[in-house]
Amino acid sequence: MQDQIRDVLATHGRMAIDPREVDEHADLYELGLTSHASVDVMLALEEEFDIEFPDEVLKKSTFESVHNIAQVIESLAKAVA
Amino acid sequence: MITFPSEVDGHRVRVGCDVADVADVQNSLAAFGDRYLRKIFTTGEINDCQGRDQAHRLAARFAAKEAVIKAFGEPDMSFPWREIEVTRDGPLPRLRLSGTLAESAQRQGWASSSLSLSHAECHAMAVIFVVCSPAEADAR
Repeated sequence: MQDQIRDVLATHGRMAIDPREVDEHADLYELGLTSHASVDVMLALEEEFDIEFPDEVLKKSTFESVHNIAQVIESLAKAVA
Repeated sequence: MITFPSEVDGHRVRVGCDVADVADVQNSLAAFGDRYLRKIFTTGEINDCQGRDQAHRLAARFAAKEAVIKAFGEPDMSFPWREIEVTRDGPLPRLRLSGTLAESAQRQGWASSSLSLSHAECHAMAVIFVVCSPAEADAR
């Protein structure tokens, strides 16, 4: 899952570094992820994992790290299953 | 040396500002189209932004949403973008909150606000100024 997340970040995150090479706990905002780019990341993740981010997870911490994104997607996938 | 208080006559004030890149909005429209619009903007905002300067107007509204988020000063809160709406039912843009964010604003004692938007060719910006009721200070 983390590889898919990193690929989405590489395509839509518009970050100064390659997100495929950052620690899973690295702060993505400090690495250049803007709030608007996080919208694109979210929309692309919804397509990639066939999920929808509900209102309650639309918070800054959700997209703060690869680890956090993966945790939220796992919880959404479990809720669907 | 003076440290200025963040309130006037017992009324706490809150300010938020943000800048949005118009090209980012254009890219999102190209990549995600209607999904992008419907996820971030209300039907009223989408209608208000139709026309030649669509991306500029949308960017200003996105900046307004981010400015409001900053004015709340609670980064751990959830911020559904569509609960923050910029309306144009008069000469000036106005802020309308709904859902959980309207409840949060009430909890913080938001009593009145003033919103300003602007854009140039490449960027758009927004500033929100909020005056809270004295009750907020009492609740703390």
